[in-house]
Amino acid sequence: MAMPGAERRRISLATLLPTAGLLPLVLWQIVFFVVPVVLMVGLSFWRSKSYRLIPDFTFDNYAAIFARPAIWRALLLSVETAAFVTVACAVLAYPVAYFIAKKAGRWRGLLLVAVIAPFWVSIVMRVAAWRLLLGERGVINQTVMALGLADEPLSFLLYSPVSTAIGLVYAYLPLYVLPLYAAISNIHDSWIDAAMDLNASPARTFFEVILPLSAPGLVVGAVFCFVFGLGEFVTPALLGGGKQLMFSQVIQDEFQRRLDWPSGAAMSVVLLVLVFVALAVSMKWIRRASGEAGS
Amino acid sequence: MSDLPPNAVELRAVSKVYGASTAVREISMEIPRGAFVTILGPSGCGKSTLLRMISGFVTPSSGDVLIDGVSVAGATPYERDTAMVFQDYALFPHRTVAQNLAFGLRMRKVDKAEIARRVEAMLELVNLKGFGERRVSQISGGQAQRVALGRALIVRPAVLLLDEPLGALDLKLRKQMQAELKTIHRELGLTFVAVTHDQEEALTLSDRIAVMNSGALEQFDTPENLYRRPATRFVADFVGNANLFDAQLGGDGRVEATGLPLTLFLNPAQRGNRPAGAPVALVVRPETIAVGATAPESHDGRIEARIEEIMFSGAVQQIVGRLPDGRRITAHQSAAVPAPERGASAVFSWPSQSVWLVDA
Amino acid sequence: MNRWSFGWALPTYSVLLYAFLYLPIVVIVLFAFDAKAIPGLPLDGFTTGWFSASLGDARLIGSLLTSIRLALLAAVLSTALAMPAAMVLAWRPVRMKSLLLCLVLGPVVLPQLVLGLGLVVLFRTAPDLIGQPAIVLAHTTMTSSYATLMLYSRFLGFRRSYIEAAMNLGANEFVTFREVVLPLIAPALIAVLLLAFTDAFGEFVVAWFLAGFTETLPIAIWTSLRQVISPKIYALSAVVILATLAVSVSAQIWILGQSRRESEP
Repeated sequence: MAMPGAERRRISLATLLPTAGLLPLVLWQIVFFVVPVVLMVGLSFWRSKSYRLIPDFTFDNYAAIFARPAIWRALLLSVETAAFVTVACAVLAYPVAYFIAKKAGRWRGLLLVAVIAPFWVSIVMRVAAWRLLLGERGVINQTVMALGLADEPLSFLLYSPVSTAIGLVYAYLPLYVLPLYAAISNIHDSWIDAAMDLNASPARTFFEVILPLSAPGLVVGAVFCFVFGLGEFVTPALLGGGKQLMFSQVIQDEFQRRLDWPSGAAMSVVLLVLVFVALAVSMKWIRRASGEAGS
Repeated sequence: MSDLPPNAVELRAVSKVYGASTAVREISMEIPRGAFVTILGPSGCGKSTLLRMISGFVTPSSGDVLIDGVSVAGATPYERDTAMVFQDYALFPHRTVAQNLAFGLRMRKVDKAEIARRVEAMLELVNLKGFGERRVSQISGGQAQRVALGRALIVRPAVLLLDEPLGALDLKLRKQMQAELKTIHRELGLTFVAVTHDQEEALTLSDRIAVMNSGALEQFDTPENLYRRPATRFVADFVGNANLFDAQLGGDGRVEATGLPLTLFLNPAQRGNRPAGAPVALVVRPETIAVGATAPESHDGRIEARIEEIMFSGAVQQIVGRLPDGRRITAHQSAAVPAPERGASAVFSWPSQSVWLVDA
Repeated sequence: MNRWSFGWALPTYSVLLYAFLYLPIVVIVLFAFDAKAIPGLPLDGFTTGWFSASLGDARLIGSLLTSIRLALLAAVLSTALAMPAAMVLAWRPVRMKSLLLCLVLGPVVLPQLVLGLGLVVLFRTAPDLIGQPAIVLAHTTMTSSYATLMLYSRFLGFRRSYIEAAMNLGANEFVTFREVVLPLIAPALIAVLLLAFTDAFGEFVVAWFLAGFTETLPIAIWTSLRQVISPKIYALSAVVILATLAVSVSAQIWILGQSRRESEP
């Protein structure tokens, strides 16, 4: 049994298989994910002159972002909207996540799947549906007028930051329920019972036991909501109208209409930095929180 | 069979080091063919690692493993003639009971008719006749245990390895399975190596027990020797209950307990070849101790203690006394014998022949 | 059960939230059956005419078929890339594992807009790939992240003792994979394929940047949204949405059921 070749073959299999398994995906991600990002960063230091790219190492593109009020106003609007959407999603998602995790009994699997299912429908179709709902002659306005709640259509519903926010809340609500559900279902019923048993009121039980223990879910959901909301393009483009642009629309405009790639690349890098900061802050928090739980 | 070496498994100074921690330390052991050997130790003592070195899932950092006298260093698990009963049984959930049993034979390219015949025979051996077409999710824990055992036995391995085989069963079922396991071992005459942390199970099942502690082999001996003549303080304490008194060996068999008014005279067999002045510990088993107002004539080991607690557990009552130096002494006495009052002073006594010495 | 309860408030709120989540979908299906040419309330009358109209629209159906074909390719490619990688990451001690995980999962958090534009820059070096190949490559990049994540957690939950039992009984690495690993992860694999397909099928931004003259269904709908929308778009969307829901729901229920069966003793 102990053939001299056995040892050698085992070593080669043991080292070869993992490498062979990882290599294709890693190479793929390097070519189609890392390289594009690196190209964008590199491009942001170039110049463009009459639609031609000129290699350079200049910070002009970054300086220009903050020199043009229209651009940093768009950036500000994007951050504000993403922050609002994050908070709104947290508030809207929490009760449902709690209901599914603690009250739904044997339906929890189905209810969870039903929350996430709309997320898989193409974003373009979902946004198209919201246009039907929010438009001047849309479902909501027609209903409001039929009920006599307003005499004329509510014009702010479509083509405004409000409609963008509604669309984004709709899009990312399922994404927030998921981590919240995971965090809440990890809270043992006995811990809640223990708090109540020690004479904590339902409100105190919630704020002193349930909420702190579901904090990881809140943070993870917030990160995804904020990061996705910040960079989302389709929703503002179709629901936001053309008056108040979001940062993503400005980037797309810079690339595709003004054809100033270096400037668009610089804006993309700013967006990436924001995303990275949001991720890093939350990762640090999660690591610290889990470290505390571990010790 | 006669040309096979007498040892089914031989471990030669095997060690396993994980980074800074040593899971197994220089263990050598010879497991005779046809024996039922149990590796016993507290959790984390390295006993499972040792078992997995025999099965090939763990490669020793140093040392050698021999199966049927041949080194299996570098052989993969599937090249070794071992079969394992896993702690969680690891029955393939997508296969029926019969298909699980047949798996090892299929891998060994046994022909179909032969497989069918041996599966049928195995179902009968493990008392599962008629269960062949069941899915493994449709059988009870005890039945799953038998399937796991049958799946390993059917390939007639050089060694059958059992990793905490009865750990997942409740007490009553465990007792029943212990008896069945023992019967099957006797009927088939295969070599069994089991791992357990349950000393009672080890004592009941095995011909020989290897006691491990923090990676090292403390003693490899028969259950009786392990109990009566423990090699180390750890074995004395871990196997069965023991009262341990630190003591010092004097000349001509005198042993004086440290800090206690207790002196015993031991025979040369009990002393071993320890020199005078050696620090030792007296091992006094609770069931050898009598408790009463006076000591029986034959009990030359005597010490006075205040009765602190008396606990009845059916046939035996456990009497705990507090010694002058504050430590406790435990005696097991028949419940038929009247116990002294709690709080009263009593003499705990035992014959010195029943005492064993271990190095302190 | 704990005594923490909102009585009827929590269920009622949950019903309302589910209504909110499904309202847009209901509206699309509703207007797909409405006779009016410009969608709006009140509903005019019931017709199935828009469905046959959308079937007769060669451009629309062409974009649908393109989407199906490209998404199928991306799903198969990303699952093929993800499965071995997830297996290694979950089962083997890998050096620089967190760096590898970041690399593999990066496309999830990278704004799609930035990935799309970055790929536009990249494909300037290979302009011939713009169109269908570029879309498949981009979607594979995005879906392989999700696929790796899902399969990684599946492999982490896979009982190692199944593999050890098979090897212990004489099966080598390849036989163990074929006889034990593959049959047990097959449901998860199919679920991942379905979800990767759904994701790639619906993706718009990146595909739009790289499309050239290719038109996927989301691109076709996007284009039509710029003009007055014909209800036949809603009719086709209704069909696609219901199919998407059916596929994603069954895939996820499959995963749930599978993990439940696994966790049984």
